[in-house]
Amino acid sequence: MKPWLKLAAGAAAITLATAGCAGSGGTDPGAAASSAPKGDGTLTVWLMTGSAPTTLTDALNKEFEDAHQGVKVKYEIQQWNGIQQKLTTALSGGDAPDVIEVGNTQTPFFASSSVLSDLSGSVNDLNGAQWLAGLKASGEFEGKTYGVPFYAANREVIYRKDMFEQAGITTPPASRAEWLDAITKLKAKFGSDPDFQALYLPGQYWYSLLSFIWDEGGDIAKADGKSFKATLDSPGAKAGLEFYKQLVEASGTKAPKDNDEANPQQAGIYGGGKAAMFIGTPGEVATAAKTDPSITAKTGAFAIPSKTAGQSAPVFLGGSNLVIPLNSKDQALAKDYLKLLSGAKYQSQLAKAGYVPGTSTDVSGLDADPLSKVMAAASKNGRAVPTSPRWGDVESGQNPLKDMLTAYLTGKKTLDQATSDANAALDKLIGG
Amino acid sequence: MPAGATPPASPRVSSPSPRKRLRIGERTVPYLLILPALVSILVLLGWPTLQLLGISLRKLDLRELVSGQMVWVGFDNYTTTLTDPQFWEITVRTLVFTTAIVVATLLVSLFLALLMRHLGPVIRIILQVTLVLAWATPVIATTTVFQWMFDQQYGILNKTLDRLGFHGFIGYSWFSSGTSTLTVIGLLILWQAVPFVTFTLYAGLLGAPKEHYEAAGIDGANPWQAFWAVSWPAIRPIMTMVTFLSVLWDFKVFAQVWAIRQGGPDGESTTLPIYLYLKGVAGSHFGTSAAVATLMLLVLILLTARYVQLLVRTKEGDLS
Repeated sequence: MKPWLKLAAGAAAITLATAGCAGSGGTDPGAAASSAPKGDGTLTVWLMTGSAPTTLTDALNKEFEDAHQGVKVKYEIQQWNGIQQKLTTALSGGDAPDVIEVGNTQTPFFASSSVLSDLSGSVNDLNGAQWLAGLKASGEFEGKTYGVPFYAANREVIYRKDMFEQAGITTPPASRAEWLDAITKLKAKFGSDPDFQALYLPGQYWYSLLSFIWDEGGDIAKADGKSFKATLDSPGAKAGLEFYKQLVEASGTKAPKDNDEANPQQAGIYGGGKAAMFIGTPGEVATAAKTDPSITAKTGAFAIPSKTAGQSAPVFLGGSNLVIPLNSKDQALAKDYLKLLSGAKYQSQLAKAGYVPGTSTDVSGLDADPLSKVMAAASKNGRAVPTSPRWGDVESGQNPLKDMLTAYLTGKKTLDQATSDANAALDKLIGG
Repeated sequence: MPAGATPPASPRVSSPSPRKRLRIGERTVPYLLILPALVSILVLLGWPTLQLLGISLRKLDLRELVSGQMVWVGFDNYTTTLTDPQFWEITVRTLVFTTAIVVATLLVSLFLALLMRHLGPVIRIILQVTLVLAWATPVIATTTVFQWMFDQQYGILNKTLDRLGFHGFIGYSWFSSGTSTLTVIGLLILWQAVPFVTFTLYAGLLGAPKEHYEAAGIDGANPWQAFWAVSWPAIRPIMTMVTFLSVLWDFKVFAQVWAIRQGGPDGESTTLPIYLYLKGVAGSHFGTSAAVATLMLLVLILLTARYVQLLVRTKEGDLS
């Protein structure tokens, strides 16, 4: 977390606001939307760090440049920290980037602010029939499509195969009961080591909580027409929270109850070799391998178990969409670029890189890697957070789900108190 | 040579008018000299402030920002903010928090400054170097160090307390309540604020003549009396200055508060700058954040009115 970055970006945004009211009064958003290429022959593309691998983007940009004589792709990689403010600044500028990757939980905010080009007419050109449902919804606003699914990833339980074997666990858990049973066995085998934890589970890991709540049939908010109503005080949400506590207590995790999975980096803890499991994405194993390179070979994965035996719990689908800003001067070129990227060729490369592709149902590229294979299977049951334009306020500000978890896990609040407080706080942010 | 009848130098010497011109020149030169400073202050401070006031009367979300529309909403942003009970709760919290830190900073710094005067040169230099190092460490670096020290599981504080026999602190969460979180943040800000104030006060103490202390000693004054009779008058104007500077700085602290817990848990450590960020910048409601900023400016003006009054009234910058 680099708050000063956010602050600096925020300051930049305000400065820009200042500049905006001084000079840009004459900008007509309609003029920018016309399709003839007006730019300087450069297509600016912003993708996020850790997204499509360079082998893919190099080939893609080359193919695009070859097909469009005289056009140059200016490819830039952005950081997640402070991206919302940076995008605000970029989108309000006269010459915005032409293609931008936007996180799926941020997309509704931009889609609802009339700053993105309406892509409804191009859905069919962009392989629309195969779009990943969990991402598709986040790019839609009031019946129009503004975002094209790019890729998604979801969480699974990552575990140490060697430790499971030593503890006598032959098959990976396929239900909550078996999961808790595995924890008991691991503790019996390794419990004498005071640093051992059967499962590393930080107190504010709300993405995991989402799985448990959805698995109980609950949800965090309900859409009612255009507005949202928080449902954290529903029986399903309460049951999910209770299971979270049960898991924390059974596993004897030493993770902080008042912090999330990024503080400290959970993959680093797993890399330390004293944790038998954690809930994460396949990509995090690479981070763990920086601490201990030998850990990759000892690592396996299973889907987050459901309370119904044999099923896997629904998972939060984290990912990105691609959008074209309204202020982009090369709308037609940008659409061509999206068309190329959404085609089978590059989508299969995304799958090989370990991502669930956004515009292709062919996930065979993921099957080569056992961790990705488990992820791809679980992604079919992937779900998204409420598509409220104000959801960004929840993640970039004070997340009531995190406060609820800490208050309940530390015993500061009862289950009823914690859920009703968080429900009121969430309603204040996205409700109405 | 009739032309030679007029000596070239004579008009300059004899005529009185150039001297007058010189006097006008003398009078305008100082104004010309401060003009660049004045212009830059107007451009860099005055103009943004006017813009801020203008934006606070507008609805300026991402949509308006991108389309360049001017949507005037009058005092709507102010009414929304002022009728938000959260705003008042946070204002009171911020004032209490600022007061506590300023008082603590001044007391600790005064103690250290007096201590420095009485320490031997070696110890004093060690103390001074330590203070400079604490001061020189970047804000976010210090914040990260504090976060780790107070960490629930791995923090050195809980481990030390456990070793000392306070076993209740194993796994104790310092960030589970607003008061506790604000105390940690307060300590962090104190840690960064003390060095500057200490050095400033120490400089003031050095200004107090040695003879005065000797005279006080001869008159039989005890250390307490000597402090009030000799040291205090020497540092009083500086004390006034650092008090108001500290109020200004501590009131608008953002980075440390945000980095520790984003104003949590349950928003209980949210101060006005955090409120501004959450209401305005995080959700791209720049009109609202401009209104909050204007209100903060008003609070600060109220708080520091006395200092400004002193500055304007007294000559030679004497603030005693």
